[in-house]
Amino acid sequence: MSEKWAAENLQTIRTLMERAAVYRRALAPVCLLTGVVGLIAGGVGWVTQCDSPRRFVLFWFGVAAATLAGAFVVIRRQALRDHESFWSPPTRRVAQAMLPSLFIGLIAGLMLAFVANDQSLTWAAVPVWMALYGAALHAGGFFMQRGIKWFGWAFIAGGTVLLLYLVIRQSLPEFRFAHAFMGLVFGGLHLVYGAYLYCTEQKQAE
Amino acid sequence: MNPQPFLQLDRVIHEKGRLAIMSLLAASPDLAFTELRDTLGMTDGNLTTHIRTLQQAGYIAVAKSFQNNRPLTTCSLTAAGRKAFTDYINLLEQIVQQTRLN
Repeated sequence: MSEKWAAENLQTIRTLMERAAVYRRALAPVCLLTGVVGLIAGGVGWVTQCDSPRRFVLFWFGVAAATLAGAFVVIRRQALRDHESFWSPPTRRVAQAMLPSLFIGLIAGLMLAFVANDQSLTWAAVPVWMALYGAALHAGGFFMQRGIKWFGWAFIAGGTVLLLYLVIRQSLPEFRFAHAFMGLVFGGLHLVYGAYLYCTEQKQAE
Repeated sequence: MNPQPFLQLDRVIHEKGRLAIMSLLAASPDLAFTELRDTLGMTDGNLTTHIRTLQQAGYIAVAKSFQNNRPLTTCSLTAAGRKAFTDYINLLEQIVQQTRLN
C-alpha cells in the first residue's frame, strides 16, 4: 500500500459523493413536452391576440402551470418505473436551486399585471422571464448533467439581447409578437434541446 | 513509515464495493436500491451481499416501503456508519500526509 493508493481512494470517494448528488432523471421527455406546449401556446396567443397585460401574464402563467404539471407527471412516472422515490434528495436540490429565480419571475409577473398594468412594461416581462428562467436553469445545472448550465446561458443571453433591443427601439412591436416570441423562445429552445437530449440519450443507451 | 494507520483501516468499509456504497450514502440522506445499483453498475445479488454486510456491521439502515403499490427499498447511513466512514477518510488523509512528510 502506498500514498498513491490512499490518494486514489480519496479521489474515488469524492467522485462517488459528487455523483450521488446528481439528478439522473431523463430530461428529454420533459424538454420535448415543454417545447411542444410552448409552441402551441405561442400560436394560441398569436391567434387569440389576448393583448391586455393582465391577460398576457395570466395566459403565460397558465401555460407554465400546465407545463409544470406535465413535467411532474413525466418525472413521477420515471421514478415509479425505476422503483425510486419521486422527491429524492437530488430532486429536492434541483428544485431548491431553481426556486428563487422562478419565484422572482412569478412576483415580477404579478406586479406587472396587477400593479403596473402597462403594455410596454409587460413587454419587458418577456426578457425578464427569459433571463430569470435561464438563471434558474443555471442554478439547477449544478446538480444536473447534460449541459443544462449552457442551456440556461442561452436564455440569459437571449433575454439580455431582447431587453437591449426593446430599450434601443423607440416604439414597441405589436403585442401579439410578445406571444410569438414567448412561444418561439421557450417552446423552440426546449424542443431543440429536447431533441438533442433524446438523440444523445439513445446513443448512450446503445 | 508508521504502519499504524493502515492497521486501523475498517475492514468492513475497506472493500471497493462497500466503500462505494458508503460514499454514495454519505452524500445523500437516503438512496433507493435501484439508484445504488445503477450508479455503481453492480448486479442485484452483489449489491444485496454488500448491503447485508454493511447492515450487519450497523453501518447502514435498510427501509422497505411501498410507493404506488410497488416495493421501494431505500438505504441510509446510520450514525455509526457515518462515524466509521469519517474515521476511514481521516485515516486515508493521515496516510497521504504521512507519506508526504517522509
